[in-house]
Amino acid sequence: MTIDPRSPFGLLLTAVCIVAFVYLILPILVVVVAPLGDTGYLAFPPQGFTLRWYAAALEDTRYLGGFLTSLRIGVIVALLSTVIGVMAAYGISRYAFPGKALAEALFLSPLILPTLVFAVALSLFFTRTGLLSGDSRLIMGHVIICTPYVIRATLPVLRRFDRTLEEAAQNLGASPLQSFFLILLPVVKTGIVAGCAMAFITSFDEVVLALFLASPGEPTLPVMIYSAVQLGFEPTVAAVSGLLVLLTCVFMVIYQLLGIARQE
Amino acid sequence: MTAAGVMTAGKGAAPSRIFVPVLIFAPCLLVYLVFFVWPQLSLLAVSAFDRGQVSAAHYIRFFSDEYYWELLGRTLFLGVSVTLITLILGVPVAYVIARMRSRYAALLLVLTTFPLLVSAVVRSFGWMVLFFRDGVVSNLLLALGLIDQPMQLMYTLTGVIIALAQVLLPLMVLTLHGVFKSIDPDLEHAAMSLGAPPWLALWLVTLRLAPGGIIAGSLLVFSLAISAFATPALVGGARANVMATTIYEQTIELLDWPFASALSAILLVFVLLISLLYAKALDRRSAGEAAS
Repeated sequence: MTIDPRSPFGLLLTAVCIVAFVYLILPILVVVVAPLGDTGYLAFPPQGFTLRWYAAALEDTRYLGGFLTSLRIGVIVALLSTVIGVMAAYGISRYAFPGKALAEALFLSPLILPTLVFAVALSLFFTRTGLLSGDSRLIMGHVIICTPYVIRATLPVLRRFDRTLEEAAQNLGASPLQSFFLILLPVVKTGIVAGCAMAFITSFDEVVLALFLASPGEPTLPVMIYSAVQLGFEPTVAAVSGLLVLLTCVFMVIYQLLGIARQE
Repeated sequence: MTAAGVMTAGKGAAPSRIFVPVLIFAPCLLVYLVFFVWPQLSLLAVSAFDRGQVSAAHYIRFFSDEYYWELLGRTLFLGVSVTLITLILGVPVAYVIARMRSRYAALLLVLTTFPLLVSAVVRSFGWMVLFFRDGVVSNLLLALGLIDQPMQLMYTLTGVIIALAQVLLPLMVLTLHGVFKSIDPDLEHAAMSLGAPPWLALWLVTLRLAPGGIIAGSLLVFSLAISAFATPALVGGARANVMATTIYEQTIELLDWPFASALSAILLVFVLLISLLYAKALDRRSAGEAAS
C-alpha cells in the first residue's frame, strides 16, 4: 500500500473498509444465524440454540419442490445461455460486419435495463401471442438476462486467443469445426465455465421474472421465499434462506478451488 | 438444432464468408429479437393505446397527477441516495483492495462478490430482521447516541435506501477496483514525495484520473437502484412506494396493464438515457487508458 496504514488517513481508510464489509456481510449472516435461536420468533442476535427450524426447513416438501424447480430451470437456462452466448461472443471476437457494435450493445443491455419492465413486457407478449407455455416462458426470460454474463465472461478470453493456433491446426488438415472444438474451446474453457456458473446462479436467484412468468403451481424457491416473507417472519423461511446462503458458500468455494486448480 | 446447422456449414468445402458469421449469430440474435426487442416494443405500443385508439391518455394521467410526480421524485431520490452511499463506501474499499498485496486482495474480492451471488430476496429478508421493531440497527444507533428514541426503519424510504445500497455496493466496488488497479501507484508516491498529504495524493491522482470509472460505477448503480423491485417491495412495502413497486401493483393487483406499460415506458426511458451516458463514460475511460 502506498498510504501508511498507521497514519490518521490510513486508519480512516481502514475504518471505512471495516464498516463497509460489516455492512455487506451482516444481513447475510443474520439470515443464517437468526433461525438458530430458540425463541420461536426471529431475533438477532439469536437467543438459545436449536436446529429445529433448520430441520423443519429440510423436511418441508414444498420448499424442496421449489428448490428442485429452481434447480431445473437454472440448469436449462445455464446450458442454453452458454451455447448462444459463446456463439455470439465468438462471432463478435472473430468477424467484422456493419452493426456489430449495435449487436454487442443489444446482447449486453439486459444487464442495465430494468428487469421489471422486461418482465411486464414479456408477460404481456406471452398472453397476447400465446407463444410457449409452462416453464419455457420463464426459461426464455431467464436466457435473455443470463446470456450477457456468458458473453461478458467469454469475450475477453476469446479476444486474447491467439488465432494463429487455429490457423496452424487448419493448415495441418483440421476442419474449421475440428479446430474450434479441439483448439479454441479448451483454451477459452475458463471463461465459458465462469459464464455458465454466473448464468446458473443468476437464474437460480432471480425473482422478478419468476413472479410474472413461473407456472402458478410450481413457484421457484426465491418466489416462495418472497411470498412467505411478505406474510410474516416464520423461522422456517429464514432457515430455508439460510440453507440457500450456505449452498451459495459451497458453490463459491468449489468455484474458487477450481479456479486455483486451473491456475496451478 | 442450431448446433447441427453450424456443423453442416462447417463440413462444406469452402463455407461462404457471410454464411458462417450469420449462422453463428443467428441463435442469439433470433432469441433477443423475439423475446427481448419485440416484447418491449409492443409494451411501448400498448402504452400508447387507449380503448383501441392511439392516445397519450396514460401518459397524461401520469404527468397530470401530483401523486405520480411525487412517486417519480421519490424514485430518483432513492437512486441518488443509494449512489452516494455506494460511492462513499465503495471508493475507499476499491482503493484499498487495488493497492493491497494480491493474496489478501483476492480474498477481499471474493468477500465482495459473495453477496452478489445471494438472492436479493434473501438479503432483503436479512435487513427486515435487522429493521423490525427493536431491531439491531435501531438499538445500535441508540447506543451510539445518534438517535434518542427507537427508530422504525421497516416500511420507510430510509430503510429501503440502507438495504438497497448494500445490495448494489459490490457492483460499485468491482467497477472502481478495475479502474484503480489500472492507475500506477508510483504516481501517488510521486505526489507524496513532493509533499502532498496522503488524502490529497489520493484525490489528485487516483480520483482525478478515474472520473470515467467513477461516473460509470455511479450510473450503473443509479440505473439499477431506480428500477430495483425486490428490496423496495419487501423492505419498503406499500408505505414507501417507488416506480417499480407501483408498476407491479398496477399489473398483478389492479390489472391495469396499459397504465403499467406507460409507467414502464417512463422508467425505461430514464434508464436508457442513463445507459447512453454510461456508454459515453466507458468510452472516455478507455480513451483515457489508451492515452496514458
